[in-house]
Amino acid sequence: MTWDITGMGAVANIGADPQEIFDALCSGRESRTPLKAFDPDKYRAAYAYEIDDRAEEGRDEPLRATRWLATAVRQALADAGLDEDLSEIPVLVGTTMREQRSSELWWRDGAQVGLADLHFGTHLKNTFGPSASYTFANACSATLYALGMATDMIELGVADTVVVAGTDSATESAFGTLDRVQNDTPDALRPFDTSHKGMLMGEGAVAVVVQRAGTGRGPVHARIRGVAMNCDAHHATAPDPDGITLAVRDAHRRAGVRPEDIDLVMLHGSGTPRNDATESGVLGAVFADSGPGPLMTAIKSMTGHTLGGSGLLSLVMATLAMRQGVVPPVLGLTDPIPQAAGLRLVQGRPAAAELNIAQIDAFGFGGINAVAIVEAAR
Amino acid sequence: MNTTSPEAAAGPVGMSRTQDAGPMGMPSSQTTAGPMRTPRPQDAGPMETPRPHDGDGTGQPPRTVVVTGVGLALPGVRKPADLLGPLPADGGFDPATGLTGREMRHKDRASRLALRATEPALRDAGLLDDDARFLGAADTTAVVVSSNLGSLDTVCEFTDTIARSGVGALSPLGLPQTSSNVVAGWVAIRHALRGPNLTVCNGATSGLDALYWARNLIAAGRAETAVVVGVEPSGDAVTKLLGEQTTDAAVAVVLESAAGAAARGARPRATFGGYARTRDLPSALTAAGTAEAAPVGLWLTGPDLGQPPAGVPAGARRVDLEAGLGPLSGTLGVLQCAAAVAHLDGGGEGSVLATTGGPGHDATAALLLRRSDA
Repeated sequence: MTWDITGMGAVANIGADPQEIFDALCSGRESRTPLKAFDPDKYRAAYAYEIDDRAEEGRDEPLRATRWLATAVRQALADAGLDEDLSEIPVLVGTTMREQRSSELWWRDGAQVGLADLHFGTHLKNTFGPSASYTFANACSATLYALGMATDMIELGVADTVVVAGTDSATESAFGTLDRVQNDTPDALRPFDTSHKGMLMGEGAVAVVVQRAGTGRGPVHARIRGVAMNCDAHHATAPDPDGITLAVRDAHRRAGVRPEDIDLVMLHGSGTPRNDATESGVLGAVFADSGPGPLMTAIKSMTGHTLGGSGLLSLVMATLAMRQGVVPPVLGLTDPIPQAAGLRLVQGRPAAAELNIAQIDAFGFGGINAVAIVEAAR
Repeated sequence: MNTTSPEAAAGPVGMSRTQDAGPMGMPSSQTTAGPMRTPRPQDAGPMETPRPHDGDGTGQPPRTVVVTGVGLALPGVRKPADLLGPLPADGGFDPATGLTGREMRHKDRASRLALRATEPALRDAGLLDDDARFLGAADTTAVVVSSNLGSLDTVCEFTDTIARSGVGALSPLGLPQTSSNVVAGWVAIRHALRGPNLTVCNGATSGLDALYWARNLIAAGRAETAVVVGVEPSGDAVTKLLGEQTTDAAVAVVLESAAGAAARGARPRATFGGYARTRDLPSALTAAGTAEAAPVGLWLTGPDLGQPPAGVPAGARRVDLEAGLGPLSGTLGVLQCAAAVAHLDGGGEGSVLATTGGPGHDATAALLLRRSDA
């Protein structure tokens, strides 16, 4: 069974819709900006990948993640040729932080935020009318988990159309703890480069419309072949090669593909030395006997780590890459870490290639892994 | 896939979704364990929209899911039967002594509470040995956590620390707690559970929704067993947000496929029926299949607002868990499942209907649980 992706929407620091984001990725220009969300004097990290949309310069405001979520969903519905009435369509939202930034502003600054505002379902209901909306706080694999569960809903006969979305804004508690933990403070997110020092947060939202094969109104952007999800049950924050290997192999099995069938890998690539070494080590082994192996890229080098939505944003970018036959480079990658030496990481400028099948990785705190396989629709 | 067994055509209406009841009707589980059935449109009753494909095309029916274990970490409640009243005068879980110990170190309050509820639930299900080692299939055991406010006090406390003393005063060991899925991670690590690991933060209906998603993970074959935990710790920020003092609450239930429970000789304590999350109570009851199920003997709901809706007999017993225990938020639906098991364990009549959400919330959720035949 495959599932059609018929609508896509996204907002990020580098673009206000999927194509803008993709074009910016291909342009390969530095995109980090000086930290604005929080008092920069309090942190060692001086940069982030924020969406700069606050009404008042230097003053953070609540409910930005909720606002972006609605924007991304609206784009995806329009793209799929659907109206904005979701009263009969389930919506699955993946997120790491939910509206915790609003909680912080409520607690510290007395922002007018109530219990209902902290729940994405409230705003979704008021805007699009879904009763069957669900928020999954599944760290940085949240949207690919949600995507997998959307395919389950269709397979189980519960729905024909499901909207899958993700959103996150940076929180001070997480940014601060990360700043405390990353002793070697990164001034940019540089996945798989020997200069990598850790992750920096990005912000954004993403949405796709997933439909039972052949039931959509408009063109099919890509077909989902399979989504795997598991848990390392190993460490609260560090990745585990065994768990990730199982997730990758299970995704291939579900999709009915062999490693040599994969043309493109959208890496998790969070820029932490731990992730980059683990992920490239696992992929080196998985693709060891696959000839030259797939092209690989890591969009967090330009979007920052957009947390819960990052997996689905990678998937949307993979869809555009397959359609346009071009893979954006990993920004700032000039000297790959030894574990990545055998991988075909795109460096310097976009790579042109005929692409049919893409693998998307997303790994989160709690050792939760999700891997999706999508196929180009032509 | 045009085959169907005679029982599919003649058997009980196992599915209750109607076109006007919203998208989230879930088929009630099959009551028979006979030959594999293909889920076909006609199984769903006359109102069902014909579908271009049947399930995954494998001919596998939705799998029956049962509850096999319950565990509580709830002050003032000693055992699940207490939930049906009257609450004991004292006893139950004591957070002051119960949340300490080596394995509790460096963990947030929600995670500690959840671990204290999970272990008795797994033990109740017969899935732990005498040394508390997990006896089930770890690779196919999922963890599903429901919590709305579990990380609120952590987040507020960390921002206070940054404002007061700077980032240097934060503990690096607090990193996992900044992510809302921290509880599910610790539960998985403690028992080495490597199946899907899900955290549902879905407002008032979150507990019932978590049960639904655990059921879906099993029905879709992603897991054989699922530990579902509802947890809401008490704290200053939670109290401020809700406007009243809350009680520490954690509850865990173990779900598994009926076939899996039977294979290992575990006693099913309740069987999953229909579920729905829709715009209001009447449509939720319709979509969950209340009319087709055994008459409701126990309705777990909110405050008594007068006449029961269509589908709930006037004589059905009615229990509002929050009346005695205070606000339960994401814990409520999972605790309702524990109360349902207590009702059925105690020989209570009829099926059990749990409802959450409603006016003032973004939806109403309903879940039916019935006596297991085995």
